[in-house]
Amino acid sequence: MREYKVVVLGSGGVGKSALTVQFVSGNFVEKYDPTIEDFYRKAIEVENTMAILEILDTAGTEQFASMRDLYIRNGQGFVIVYSVTSKQSHQDVVVLREQIIRVKGTENVPMVLVGNKADLEPDRQVPTSEGMILANEWEVPFYETSAKRCINVNEVFADCVVEIMRLQDPHKHKKRKCCTVI
Amino acid sequence: MSGDINQSPYSRRHRKSSSENSEEDRVSIPGLTVKAVQLEHLAATCVEFFDEKGNVLDDSSFPRLLFLMHRWFMSSEELAKQFVQLYHSNNAQDCKAPECDQTGHDDSCPVNMDKMKVCHALRYWISNFPVHFDLDSGLSTIMSEFQDLLKTEGNSHLHHIIDISNVPSYDWMRVISVRHPSVRTNRKVSLVFNRVEPKELADHLTYLEYKIFRRVNFSDLKSYALTGHLRDNLKLERSIGLFNGISQWIQCMVLSRHTPRQRAEVITKFVEVAKRLRRLKNFNTLMAVVGGLTHSCLARLRQTYAHVSSETQKTISEMTELLTSASNFTNYRKALQEAKGFKIPILGVHLKDLILLHTALPDRTDDGCINFLKVAKLSVTFQELLQLQHCKPPVEPSMDLVNMLRASLDLQYTEDEIYELSLAREPRGSSSTPPTPTQTPVFAEWASGISCHRDKDTINKHVSAMVDAVFKNYDTDKDGYITYNDFQSIATNFPFMDSFCVLDADRDGVISKSEMKTYFVRAHSLALSASFKHSFHVHTYLSPTFCVHCTGLLWGLIKQGVKCRICGINAHKHCKDRVVMECRSKKTSVNGLQRRHTMDGLPKELATSVESNGDFTNSILTLEHKRRISMKTHMVQQATQTDSLESTPKHGMVSPGPDLTSFHDPFPLCNGNHSLDGNSPSSSPKSVSLTSDQEESEHGGIICNGRRLSELSEDDGSSFGDRQSLAESDASSVFKSTPGDDPPNGIWEKLKGENQTQYLQWY
Repeated sequence: MREYKVVVLGSGGVGKSALTVQFVSGNFVEKYDPTIEDFYRKAIEVENTMAILEILDTAGTEQFASMRDLYIRNGQGFVIVYSVTSKQSHQDVVVLREQIIRVKGTENVPMVLVGNKADLEPDRQVPTSEGMILANEWEVPFYETSAKRCINVNEVFADCVVEIMRLQDPHKHKKRKCCTVI
Repeated sequence: MSGDINQSPYSRRHRKSSSENSEEDRVSIPGLTVKAVQLEHLAATCVEFFDEKGNVLDDSSFPRLLFLMHRWFMSSEELAKQFVQLYHSNNAQDCKAPECDQTGHDDSCPVNMDKMKVCHALRYWISNFPVHFDLDSGLSTIMSEFQDLLKTEGNSHLHHIIDISNVPSYDWMRVISVRHPSVRTNRKVSLVFNRVEPKELADHLTYLEYKIFRRVNFSDLKSYALTGHLRDNLKLERSIGLFNGISQWIQCMVLSRHTPRQRAEVITKFVEVAKRLRRLKNFNTLMAVVGGLTHSCLARLRQTYAHVSSETQKTISEMTELLTSASNFTNYRKALQEAKGFKIPILGVHLKDLILLHTALPDRTDDGCINFLKVAKLSVTFQELLQLQHCKPPVEPSMDLVNMLRASLDLQYTEDEIYELSLAREPRGSSSTPPTPTQTPVFAEWASGISCHRDKDTINKHVSAMVDAVFKNYDTDKDGYITYNDFQSIATNFPFMDSFCVLDADRDGVISKSEMKTYFVRAHSLALSASFKHSFHVHTYLSPTFCVHCTGLLWGLIKQGVKCRICGINAHKHCKDRVVMECRSKKTSVNGLQRRHTMDGLPKELATSVESNGDFTNSILTLEHKRRISMKTHMVQQATQTDSLESTPKHGMVSPGPDLTSFHDPFPLCNGNHSLDGNSPSSSPKSVSLTSDQEESEHGGIICNGRRLSELSEDDGSSFGDRQSLAESDASSVFKSTPGDDPPNGIWEKLKGENQTQYLQWY
């Protein structure tokens, strides 16, 4: 089984950790211990093969500039998260992508754009269309998720793995552009 | 007997037998049998774990956890009130025993025993967490009142149990910076980067780290875990600022060197620093250093790394391996576990743990009880982060070097700027992908939640401390002046400092204390003003005029130089892009210190226009005198020019690297540019010595994404709320020179645009 390193990036308070927690432990949070070695590992099935994901959650370390650089260099795929309830966080993702591209030295980086907190419809500041436009421009998959209600969470990470696979083996995995919203 | 432990109304309710909670308990803390407690029963539950002698029953960790973590869900005051109430509730139940006066003298009286337990629980709190009682005035008031009550009741022995008058003082926690009497012994160390031993550097970085890290307290951590941002969280912000400051400083120190070999030497030095930090078990600074060394803007320097020895490269990869985020930082966590004694954990890693725990686990259980499982898990991280409060670092700092480092680490560049410099030093090879950042990236508002406030007073204080340290060590003849050569060695500490003659404002060939202070303060405030760009136009001068930058005469009959339309300063055509003077409108009234500096270059009519300001009369009187001196110096300089060209390395001449010959350096280094415009140090008259014995102090600090860490030094508590005076301060870089000729390379332009954006976003 191959292992993939996926980095979850986004400004503070967009729900990165909620997304990660939801993905790695679902609702079994009673046993939750974020200090153990395997905590951020999870096996999932992607396109009929099993893959192990190691999530690098950047929550809490957003302000540490050089740690962010390390994270980006170690990561293979990136889940870039903004909150649909914060216009600012949506603008921040542009800067994040710039940084990823700079560190990786190429524009061809496996990436998934995620608008989180889609369950908070009344507080929405970023319309779905804006996320879609950005994702189209970047040519990356786009999801609106709700970590709270577990909507689209697994899909985001699975798609990120597909993106990594596609980069490693471009012939086998065809380019697909899809936007999924709830 | 009503006071019997087994009959207590709370004793069994929340405890579970071991068979019931086998699954969950595996991950909780050993000795913790309480899973959830109602908020109002916390004190009562806690008291149950004490016997009347003050021992903790069953080695339970509940009391320790409660006192350590109670502030997660309530204030210390509220908890203390619960204990007092509990005490009173015992009074309500009359002791059935005959002849019991309930004054505490009868040890067999169950009511008295219960009272005693309450007091022992409080005693436990006082002796294990004395810091709460010293820092929380509300808590200490309640305790004093309670003590008085016991006194009036006549329970003298209980009264002694809860005495808090012996609690040690935690003054250093209250304030951000305190002088350390124990470290006043000043060892003599070099302040020059090239000559500082890596060990010294590591020790002093550790000292700085320790001083800032240990002040981060429970509520700072809690606030960050709950909100995820640093607003109003100055101590944590300072700590993170130091971390980023160190990383950036390393990058800048490396990139400030012109040749790959020189850069490799700096890298090697920092690797030695990293080794020492590892031995000191200072993981946080180690992370910052390794993060800086392996940052993508340095990692891409192939030519440089070709000069780094394989052994050093191996050490770098070992360090990277130790701190890798892979497998949830497992290597680091193991190393931290094994480390005994003094150690500084990586703040970021544990903050991340806190946030994830907080996200995953609810504060309350379904029935509204406090979720003690969560509290127990949080406590592990809290203990890790707070243990430093009780440690002492195994280093003996020299305050001079500490001050120097503080000032050095104060640099604040954006990652984009540093990366651009990296590209300039070693451009992308043809093999790699084409450059991507074609457009100016939106400024990193991404470091969200951080505001950029600066306090002029603090900057002054901070600069003073550093300058005093410099003078103490380098003004060997104690005449209050630094000579040219001394300046050159100090200048290597500040990657992008201006040339000697820019600092030597009065052109007397030596730098006085006030000149150096003025320069550094001004360097901080340069970018404060958005209008830094001059509007130069070619000008024909009818009388002899001098260049503000190099002080040289503007030669020729017509079109001798350029003049700024707005502020009226004059410069050579070839100097105009290096002018570091702020462009101020003639009408603006400004403070004397800053204006004085620009005075030399101002046309006479402007000088007289500000005469009415009073402060400047003196400067104007001496203006002509100075100009004469500068003219003289200029002549000397012309004569010695050939010599200085030979003796001083000039970039492009000394560096064999192909990258430098074609590139016009946008960050002229002090030792790169002074040869043409530097004054001859010894040939100029020197005025009378005026050394004032300024005490070296420990002020100063680090900017964290714009906010100066020293904002909270011990005697300027006022700067806490003094936002208005800070509002104008919006600098994002200091000690920086002016842009090169090439507009696309003009980092300043970009920087300015970004600053403006930043400014708008903040206000």
